[in-house]
Amino acid sequence: MRNIAKQYIKWAVVLSVLTGMTSCQSDYLETDPTTAASEEAAYSSASNLMAIVNGMHRDMYYRQNDSQGQNGQGGIMIMMDALGDDLVFPSTGNNWYISTVRWQDQVNESGSNDFYPYQFYYALIRNANLVIANGPSVPAPTAADAATIKTAIGEAYAFRAFCYYMLVQIYGKRYVPGTNNTQLGVPIRLVANEIPLARNTVEEVYTQINNDLNEAATRLAGVTRATKSHFNDKVVLGLKARIALTQGNYAAAAAAAQSARAGFALMDNATYTAGFNNLAGVGEWMWGATIIADQGDTFSNFGAYMSRNFNSTNIRQAPKAINSKLFLLFPSTDVRTKNFDPTGAHTSLALPSTYAKFPYTGQKFLAASQADSRVDVPYMRSAEMYLIEAEALARSGDEAGSKAVFNVFAKNRNPSYTGATTTGAAYITEILNSRRLEFWGEGFRFLDLKRLNQGLDRTGANHSSVVTNNVMTVANTDLRWEFLIPRSEINANPLIVQNPL
Amino acid sequence: MKMKLMLSTAVLFFVGGHLVEAQKTKRDTIPQDTKIDEIVVVAYGSQKRETMVGSNTEVKAKQFADRPITSIGQALDGASAGVKVSTGTGQPGSSPSIQIRGIGSYGISTSPLYVVDGTIYTGSLAAINPNDIASFNILKDAASTSLYGSAAANGVVLITTKSGRKGKDAFNFSMSTGAVGRSIPEYDRVNVYQYYPLVWESIRNGRMTSVPGTTMADANAYATAQLISGVLKTNVFNVPDNQLVVNGVLNPDAKLKYTDLDWQKPLMNTGFRQNYELNYSGGSNTTTYFSSVGYTNETGYLIKSDFERFTARLKVDSQVKSWLKLGTSISGVSSNGNNSVDGADNNSAYINPYRWTRTMGPIYSPYAHDPTTFATLYDKAGNIVYDAGSARGADAAAGRNVIQETLLNKDLSKNYYIISRAYAEIKVDPYLTLSTNAGYDIRNNRRSTYGNKIIGDAAPGGSAEKYSFTEQTFTWNQLLNYKRKFGDHNFEFLLGHENYKYMYEYLYGYKKGQIVDDNDELVNFVTPSSLTSRTDNYRKEGVFSRLNYDYKSKYLLSGSIRWDGSSRFDKDVRWDSFWSLGAGWRLKGEEFLSNSNLISELKLRGSYGEVGNDGTNSYYMYKSTYTLGYNNAQEPGILFGFLADPTITWEANKQTDVGIDFGFLNNRITGSVEYYNRVTEDLIFPVPLPVSAGVPDNTISRNVGTMYNRGFEFSINADVIKTQNFTWNINANASTLKNQITELSNGITEIINGTKKISVGHSIYDYWLRQWYGVDPADGSPLFLAADAYANTTAADIRTVNGQKVTTNFNKAKYDYSGTAIPDLFGSFGTSITYKQWSLSALFTYQLGGKTYDSNYAALMSSYSQGGALSTDILDRWTTPGQITDVPALNSSTYTSSNAGNSSRWLVSSDFLTFRQATLSYSFSPETLSQLGVSGLRILVSGENIWSKTARKGLEPSQAFNGTASNRYTPARVVTIGFNVSF
Repeated sequence: MRNIAKQYIKWAVVLSVLTGMTSCQSDYLETDPTTAASEEAAYSSASNLMAIVNGMHRDMYYRQNDSQGQNGQGGIMIMMDALGDDLVFPSTGNNWYISTVRWQDQVNESGSNDFYPYQFYYALIRNANLVIANGPSVPAPTAADAATIKTAIGEAYAFRAFCYYMLVQIYGKRYVPGTNNTQLGVPIRLVANEIPLARNTVEEVYTQINNDLNEAATRLAGVTRATKSHFNDKVVLGLKARIALTQGNYAAAAAAAQSARAGFALMDNATYTAGFNNLAGVGEWMWGATIIADQGDTFSNFGAYMSRNFNSTNIRQAPKAINSKLFLLFPSTDVRTKNFDPTGAHTSLALPSTYAKFPYTGQKFLAASQADSRVDVPYMRSAEMYLIEAEALARSGDEAGSKAVFNVFAKNRNPSYTGATTTGAAYITEILNSRRLEFWGEGFRFLDLKRLNQGLDRTGANHSSVVTNNVMTVANTDLRWEFLIPRSEINANPLIVQNPL
Repeated sequence: MKMKLMLSTAVLFFVGGHLVEAQKTKRDTIPQDTKIDEIVVVAYGSQKRETMVGSNTEVKAKQFADRPITSIGQALDGASAGVKVSTGTGQPGSSPSIQIRGIGSYGISTSPLYVVDGTIYTGSLAAINPNDIASFNILKDAASTSLYGSAAANGVVLITTKSGRKGKDAFNFSMSTGAVGRSIPEYDRVNVYQYYPLVWESIRNGRMTSVPGTTMADANAYATAQLISGVLKTNVFNVPDNQLVVNGVLNPDAKLKYTDLDWQKPLMNTGFRQNYELNYSGGSNTTTYFSSVGYTNETGYLIKSDFERFTARLKVDSQVKSWLKLGTSISGVSSNGNNSVDGADNNSAYINPYRWTRTMGPIYSPYAHDPTTFATLYDKAGNIVYDAGSARGADAAAGRNVIQETLLNKDLSKNYYIISRAYAEIKVDPYLTLSTNAGYDIRNNRRSTYGNKIIGDAAPGGSAEKYSFTEQTFTWNQLLNYKRKFGDHNFEFLLGHENYKYMYEYLYGYKKGQIVDDNDELVNFVTPSSLTSRTDNYRKEGVFSRLNYDYKSKYLLSGSIRWDGSSRFDKDVRWDSFWSLGAGWRLKGEEFLSNSNLISELKLRGSYGEVGNDGTNSYYMYKSTYTLGYNNAQEPGILFGFLADPTITWEANKQTDVGIDFGFLNNRITGSVEYYNRVTEDLIFPVPLPVSAGVPDNTISRNVGTMYNRGFEFSINADVIKTQNFTWNINANASTLKNQITELSNGITEIINGTKKISVGHSIYDYWLRQWYGVDPADGSPLFLAADAYANTTAADIRTVNGQKVTTNFNKAKYDYSGTAIPDLFGSFGTSITYKQWSLSALFTYQLGGKTYDSNYAALMSSYSQGGALSTDILDRWTTPGQITDVPALNSSTYTSSNAGNSSRWLVSSDFLTFRQATLSYSFSPETLSQLGVSGLRILVSGENIWSKTARKGLEPSQAFNGTASNRYTPARVVTIGFNVSF
């Protein structure tokens, strides 16, 4: 009897152990990530599709490649100025962008800064391609959903145009108006795949950019955007004006610029000197980024390098100055000169003594505080539209029409300005000088020099030969005007052709 | 004949015989004439050593018990042939990385699987007190590991914890204490007097090069004028800046204004280690128990790096019924400590103390000085004032102070672990045993950091971060074991099922703007910068079976198979089978050897099997996803984040192993010779994609390759002298390793990543670098072989030197293969001597062949130092036409080429010989002790990382398997004295 009971216990234990062998559910091995959304989810609703576009706008001020100096579009803007003559680094500071100032980045195909714009814009292009390809099949149960989808696709086209425009300017030879521009541009990828592609010609890239802008314009017509971080029809017109100017399509540039600026009144003089930190509140700003507190990146933000007041080593030791030769071309009545201090003291800012002082440093950009580097990042302002229109009209022979526009702008900046008295080439130089002063620090100069085929000349001003490592002039024929195609692209793409070195 | 040849080879060579060690312990307690079977722990069970066909190295507690180590990983170094260790850092509590039999994978895990008391353990090795371990077994071939199927590709380490013994209560106490210092010295660097003229020379030469037409006099004057004001910013001598270096010579009147220029001393000094162990064990006829408590406290030689650990453990085994055995063990561990900066992860960060104490120019003081008296400054509270770095060159961490930041910042970790195991073993009938093992481990980690308000990344507001994660693993298996003997035929059959479940929950918060001082909690900060969490799940399930057979312990056969499913792969490719077959012939069992006095053991064995690897970096590698958190102000945002190949699946490891185990002269000499061929198929590579595809990281992971790791392993152990009072044992092991990619599929022909290029016919650690040619004796220019595309162009930067097309421009340099990081031969040797009550043991590890890419050295060899330290090798720079040297001219114009990375110039031999460990002890005789009521008392001195010989001073060749160097916490030398006493 006892034995039998013992046997029962034993077999009960055996059985209970054996049940473990079969207890697994069929979905036991199904797990999902919690920090990411599946592709299906991304294309499952209009708002999710729009979330991709929002993410792209965020990427414009997101740290790339884990590098502090590579903050989305802002970092590239700083590079484009560091390569030029108007933004002056008075000291090597803690080394940020010094290799750029020395023109070492673009010839180092394995260097991070040569890679950064290439990777940054193509990553945005992939997202744009995904929105363009998947948008049409996103369910749209309501009219509002349909409108959101249309807007998202429109913005994706605008993004793609903007990105290709930046890429072709940086990695291709300059666009030469009036020629067929068969020089190599960048590969055009219009679907989100990974196949190797050869470089298209510069002309082909510009054709694609214009096509995309037209697609964007159709879809964004009449759309009200939530914030100025987004594209709308006006920003698309602004891009058209920029691109037409680069292509030498002066009539198109002037027309687009004029329509683009409608509704974006120039800022008054008081606003101009208030620190360039109010995207939403300043009518002149057409497109930009406002960074909220928990989305900033203390030492990576645009303002962590370009503001005068943020308390970082870079700003304390290497505050950014303006080319003294350029500065001295303007009278003190020009409000723009108020954003620079020839003594470097910046008394009004009450900078602590630990901040190194150099002549001609700028206080155009003022960060939220000494502990908070955020400034709003300007991607497009209507001032540019005035200057594009003025330049385009002047170059197309309508100097009178040009001056009508230019004088409105110039008088806003300098109330004592009595109107342009120069003519011909001298007048165009006056427009360009105004453009240089106006867009100091906003990432235009290297691209303008390349567009204008002018060569670099840093001589006769406050550039330090130690900081520039004796790079004071660069001829317009120099090979360094084209960034090399990054080594990582060449390694994975047998069809790519490297720029001459 | 062939047999004989192999035997003599075996005798000529050597290798670590832990076999003998094991038998010796047995022999101590067993009468000489009784033959006892040595039982060895194997996968899901145990087995007689003589019937084993796999490769299984056993290491007993005795071999590491006296060492001042915190993690069992440290005891694996040198423990067995074929085991390669990348030394842990000097951070107290850190564990080394381990690879068994080559590099099992490229893109995914190469770490072995750890099994604690029969259940998979994926927690931290630092949570296991080495003194609670009775033995560990290193399983190297498929026959030994394939029952672990999908997790076994990189070998398995079985850890068996201590149990009590029947009828013998024992009480042990031991303690040790000692000093912790740096084991590898710093690179030699130039001093303050040498430094200024060197930098001056760079500026002068650069001016001559970049401004054509400059006269020497003008360039000299330019360099003199710019040296301090433009470049270095600080003049520590008492002469005017523009008279410091004139015509290349340091002003002979120059006297130092202050001398506190050392950055290492304030951060690196002597650490302290103490360790206490107490255990109590025993047992009745039916129940045994073992309990222990341990306390370890180690401070590193770097300031603010330490580790403190409490462990407590209880293990009880009980024969509840004649047919039922139950056992449980539970161990609770609490550890905490200050984390030093992880040098490998923060190689060039301003907070990296190893980097900045190494590369800070010799002209800068960490402290502030009075501008007129040059006296060191103190604040009102009497504390020294640090230099804020406002007058340093671009290469000298301007604006930062790594000493002050290290002192003011905080990074603390706390870990709480519970490791629990339970099993039941039911004897259903005399042949059939059913058993089940369950393991539940939980780890809670809390880490908090504080960034100070005064200097560095968090200044001026201050910041705090809190990390927390909870890691839980649950493993449960059920095993049926049928063991039966039919005459001389022995069978053993195993059938099993296992579930593995892992969950990781993470929470992170980051705030800035400290409100009041001395409070690092988040509530004391104003602005939230980040708040995030995530949960990861990983699960596996497997069914497995094994059949062992032997005839009279002479002819041995073993076969096993396992089906495994992993949540890391898509459901269509999730399940796979893994298996092995092994056979052995124990010649000693044959009549012709059974009476041989010379040959006391001889066995031939071999196995083949296929095991898998699912150790991918991500748990969801087959799913393309958008990353959350790309919110644009108030708008929700996502961005394409990961491109997946949905068909990605297991890497398969096909392993062949043949070996001979031998013993001579009554096993006075034992050892083994083995050959393995380990072929990994379906290797997962991060396949590079065109950057123009816009894919994050520009790669997609795919199963695209095949490679092998092959090698011979030799181990020998000899009792040279064995008398009552004097024993001398020597042991040695050596391993060869050849790794090669044999196939790349899917149209992939090469993968270039960092300093390496993967292609068929090369190893995965073959360097692919710019080909350094040397220095042009004519003008001191750096020369590289010119890339084919440029070799025949005419440009100023293309030259012909000795008939060779070379370039002075690193961007036109030819890339080519340049050696490998993989050694030709590596291993260890050691000895132990006992004389009366004295005993001494020593262990050396070595490596021959292989190269290190010494980027740390490269950083000290700048041709234009802008405030960074310089190696003394820079003194050999080119200065005069015709001079033959390998160090280019110092020149601020050509420095980007001279300094260029990814260059074969920075390769150096990885050969090393390290005196890894030694212990000297004295045991008091039982007679002396008996009056004290003590049954044993030993005192000992023990040291780790005692001495090392490398190709270059400062070099640390064993820090990474792939041969790269980083500014990391170089390993510590630990020397302790201690005693243990038992009652």
